[in-house]
Amino acid sequence: MKYFIKKAVTLIITLLFISVITFAAFSVIPGDASMTRLGTEATPDQIEALREEMGLNKPVTERYILWLSDALRGDFGESYQYEGQQVSALLADRLPVTVLLAVISFLMILVLSVPLGILAAKHSGKWLDTAINQLTQITMAIPSFFLGIILTYIFGLILKWFQPGLFISPSENLWGSIRYLIFPAAAIALPKIAMVVKFLRNSVLSEMPKDYVRTAYSKGSSKNRALSRHILKNALIPVITFMALVVAEILAGSIIVEQVFSVPGVGRLLISAISTRDYPVVQAVVTYVTAVVVIINFVVDMLYQLADPRVKAA
Amino acid sequence: MENLLEIKNLSLSFYENGAEQKVLKNISLDIGRQEIVGIVGESGSGKSMTALSMMRLLSPAAVITGGEILFEGRDLLKLSEKEMESVRGDDISMIFQEPMTSLNPVMKIGKQVEESLILHTHMKKDEIRRQVIEALTSVGLPEPEKLYGKYPYQLSGGMRQRVMIAMATICRPKLLIADEATTALDVTVQKQILRLIQKFHEETGTSVLMISHDLNVIKSVCSRVIVMYNGDIVEMGNTQEVLRHPKHDYTKTLVAAIPDNDVPSDRSSVVLEAKDLRLSFKEKDGVFSGKDQKAVLKGVSFCVYEGEILGVVGESGCGKSTLAKTIVGLNKHFTGSLQMTCSRPQMVFQDPFGSLNPARKIGWILQEPLKARGIRDKKERLRLVDEMLVKIGLDPSFKGRYAREFSGGQRQRISIGLALLMDTGFIVADEPVSALDVTVQSQILKLLLQLHKEKNLTMMFISHDLEVVRHVCDRVIVMYLGQIVEMADSDELYKNPQHPYTRLLFSAALDGHKIEDNDDSEDTEAQEVPQGAGCAFYPRCPYRKNSCRKKKPMLRLCGDNHETRCRAGALK
Amino acid sequence: MKEKQFRKKHNWQLIIGCGLTGFFVLFTIVGQFWTPYDVTAMDAAARSAPPSLAHIMGTDNFGRDVFSRVMNGCGNTFLVAFCTVGIGAVFGTAIGALTGFYGGWIDEIIMRINDAILSFPSILLALILISLLGPGKLNIIIALGIIFIPSFARIVRGEVLRCKSLEYVQSARVMGISNFRIIFAHILPNIWVSMLTAAMIGFNNAVLSEASMSYLSLGVQPPEASLGRMLSEAQSLIFNAPWYAIFPGIVIILIILGFSMISEGLRKLQWGEN
Repeated sequence: MKYFIKKAVTLIITLLFISVITFAAFSVIPGDASMTRLGTEATPDQIEALREEMGLNKPVTERYILWLSDALRGDFGESYQYEGQQVSALLADRLPVTVLLAVISFLMILVLSVPLGILAAKHSGKWLDTAINQLTQITMAIPSFFLGIILTYIFGLILKWFQPGLFISPSENLWGSIRYLIFPAAAIALPKIAMVVKFLRNSVLSEMPKDYVRTAYSKGSSKNRALSRHILKNALIPVITFMALVVAEILAGSIIVEQVFSVPGVGRLLISAISTRDYPVVQAVVTYVTAVVVIINFVVDMLYQLADPRVKAA
Repeated sequence: MENLLEIKNLSLSFYENGAEQKVLKNISLDIGRQEIVGIVGESGSGKSMTALSMMRLLSPAAVITGGEILFEGRDLLKLSEKEMESVRGDDISMIFQEPMTSLNPVMKIGKQVEESLILHTHMKKDEIRRQVIEALTSVGLPEPEKLYGKYPYQLSGGMRQRVMIAMATICRPKLLIADEATTALDVTVQKQILRLIQKFHEETGTSVLMISHDLNVIKSVCSRVIVMYNGDIVEMGNTQEVLRHPKHDYTKTLVAAIPDNDVPSDRSSVVLEAKDLRLSFKEKDGVFSGKDQKAVLKGVSFCVYEGEILGVVGESGCGKSTLAKTIVGLNKHFTGSLQMTCSRPQMVFQDPFGSLNPARKIGWILQEPLKARGIRDKKERLRLVDEMLVKIGLDPSFKGRYAREFSGGQRQRISIGLALLMDTGFIVADEPVSALDVTVQSQILKLLLQLHKEKNLTMMFISHDLEVVRHVCDRVIVMYLGQIVEMADSDELYKNPQHPYTRLLFSAALDGHKIEDNDDSEDTEAQEVPQGAGCAFYPRCPYRKNSCRKKKPMLRLCGDNHETRCRAGALK
Repeated sequence: MKEKQFRKKHNWQLIIGCGLTGFFVLFTIVGQFWTPYDVTAMDAAARSAPPSLAHIMGTDNFGRDVFSRVMNGCGNTFLVAFCTVGIGAVFGTAIGALTGFYGGWIDEIIMRINDAILSFPSILLALILISLLGPGKLNIIIALGIIFIPSFARIVRGEVLRCKSLEYVQSARVMGISNFRIIFAHILPNIWVSMLTAAMIGFNNAVLSEASMSYLSLGVQPPEASLGRMLSEAQSLIFNAPWYAIFPGIVIILIILGFSMISEGLRKLQWGEN
């Protein structure tokens, strides 16, 4: 419990810290927001008027507090790119799509990588392990956008299992949406599956020669029992921490893969906002993504504590 | 009566990079029923491999190339893996060296102890639990009910080894193998663990195979001894007989005496004077919680005289290594005063494998101290290095080699040479021979004593080995929990120990005699006694009185050059 | 058993990895001075032509030779990779070695920031920085370079910390050897394998990140050729000219594979030593 409170306090401080950083970063962009909106031919008067309107003339600290209190209420201001649209509304539209995409790829990773990793470790040195090893190494080298292009080509254009570019919104047809998202999710998941398989395999293998495993054998444990009762729990503990990184990687992957499959998610919003210098949107997305990463790390920390009795002592 | 276990012509090889390396060369031995047999030998002699072969727990690189292991007439090597599983833990069980790593870190103690019962019996749950509690009680662990749900990290090394014994004996095996079971433990704990194994043997008639590099361990419990050397059995027979009249060369060096220091020191000038040294380490625990200070040295005062060898003894964690590092300048945040009349004291470390830079050649390493002394001329440096190599008993051509090409003893020679090249008159040696085989130990000690004699070298000799200290040191300091509890000339101290802790240490040390059941080295480590503001040794002291809890005892003179904090140990 | 021996004797991963990487470095260097066709020359007669003896990787929709563009485009890939890994290695090693050796509160703060940054995927951080700096090759180098500093710093710090507690370093300190000399003459020679492994992982990530950013039109800008950029152009043409996407993609995969095999091989080498 003490541990939980300590970690929760750290979490809040980290989130605040991130908000300061993102705010500060977007405040120092050369040529402030008013310039971007009005273009280079605006008169100084026009700029001054807009700066006044946007509150850019107030001191930085006041602007930060204002921005933070707005942001906490979910108000990130108006988008430059889509005139008159609230950033929060834009986000709310796209968030479910990205979440769905991330969940599907996470499930794919979980379901496929854990058995494969254990299988590889169990048969270490034999042909099955070697085959899995080669496969993971090659898979890890494939950029997810290239994988996306190939999947589109094979499953979309040749086999016609889905229609590239014609995304069905989950609010309209959830099943149809999932059927479409399976392909981008696979493009994100495959390299990560390889990562987790390799990590888990190495984790199991590094536990195998340890003294406590020999003790288990000396009591008469069979190989399978030693693996399932003794090694696995010890080997999975580091995997829990690794999963935080995997989830963050899924988010990063979704930004790119959404582009490949024309999925209208948060990632696509971010890319278009970056290329049109739509700073309120960029700022909102960056704040949201970093917050998610930090919170996931917090959750993983908690899980880790549940799994490893030694952490409680620290 | 037929023997419990017979090994006939067993050969075993390691295959590495396609090359065969013979580890066991056609060995034959037997273990009778209700017998304690010891195997003694240095590292690499094949003694552990013999034990692991009996359990068939060898690593895949080790291949048995011939012979048989008959257990009650059955050849274990011919059993299927499944049949072997029913032998392990039930008929033969084993205790390993490292209590810190031999238990599963994320499994509760109870679960680990009961596993053998689950695998080998059909008992009901509550019966199993009852048996586990009984086993934990019988190995002298307090509050077994609570212990059942604890994790290994919550236990000390000695307690973990007791858990290991409970685990290994719960199914009443016919043969118990103890592979260096007490090597990683403190002297005071070592004897208790040995007594425990002996007690189990007496009560159940289980045969025990004791494997150790330490002759005293073997002498104190085994009726019969097997001496192994380089994969061969070189001698075997009645323990007393073999060790009194060793026939093989290796056995002779094994029982050879520790060299004596025969240079008297005159104690005319002081080299080092320490006054009230105190040192604490921060125990980090995140940003928000405060930092706890763990006091490691709690006011240590002493001096070192020129040309003497001063011994420092005590259990692990008593602060003796910290004291050594503080003196040579590795710990900067101490309080108190440290005055030295000599140039920088140098240090010889315990681990001969960690103390030489693996990425550099010996010649480069040995030139470092000369560069530090400001000798710019490379020819001069190389000449001094060559000279030193000869002095420490090595060949000048060794300059071009890496540390990994040398044996432990050779590396320790190089470390000593390294310290001497700083041209210092004062060396602090932290367990310089503890990591070495017995036969190499005496050679290194001889080298140290010879240098001491030739150069009138002053030395601080830190060791947990009381026998070595007795032979080598002029004066001895006994430390307990960061304090000096007793300090005297070594003859005086060993003849006339005053402090109860010193007494405990001495009586716990194995002196080559059989452990008796009525031994008075009873240690109360297992009991939980609240620590008061008074004497630090109070919780473990067999002579404690109520007043000891409040009053902090001071070091007082109790004889010629003999100081102690307490004299209760002298009254028997 | 026999397989293991074979693997120990021949570190084939290292050999193949070095071979692959060496080949592509050579391929790229040649591509900067000579290509079979002019990189920007369009050939109206051979638009979207499939691979043939004349154009071994086919042509794009303007009739430009894909092979020549790949050869030339690799230049940008390697340029970005070398620069970013260089920045990361130099600053990361300095920060890691100093904080690891001296410790204290500065170390604690820097390492906390480090860990925070490391919990984010590099592409995500690169996107954030690019949104601040604006797109372009130089900005990609700066952004990725900054991002790679923490991973180097952590590896070097960990190794320095490990070595610092070893007795040979303590023995050097007892002799009064300067900290600077201890770090650079005593410790660094012991950790170069780890640093090289880190560099290889850095190359791997840099190539991947550069390709991704260029694919998103945030990296190398046209008309310069870049593998990621080519893929984004090729995507819309994939039905008619799949070779335009497949060959640059395979080249990216092989380059990354080369680096990852070297790092794996080095890791095995290190385990063998220990």
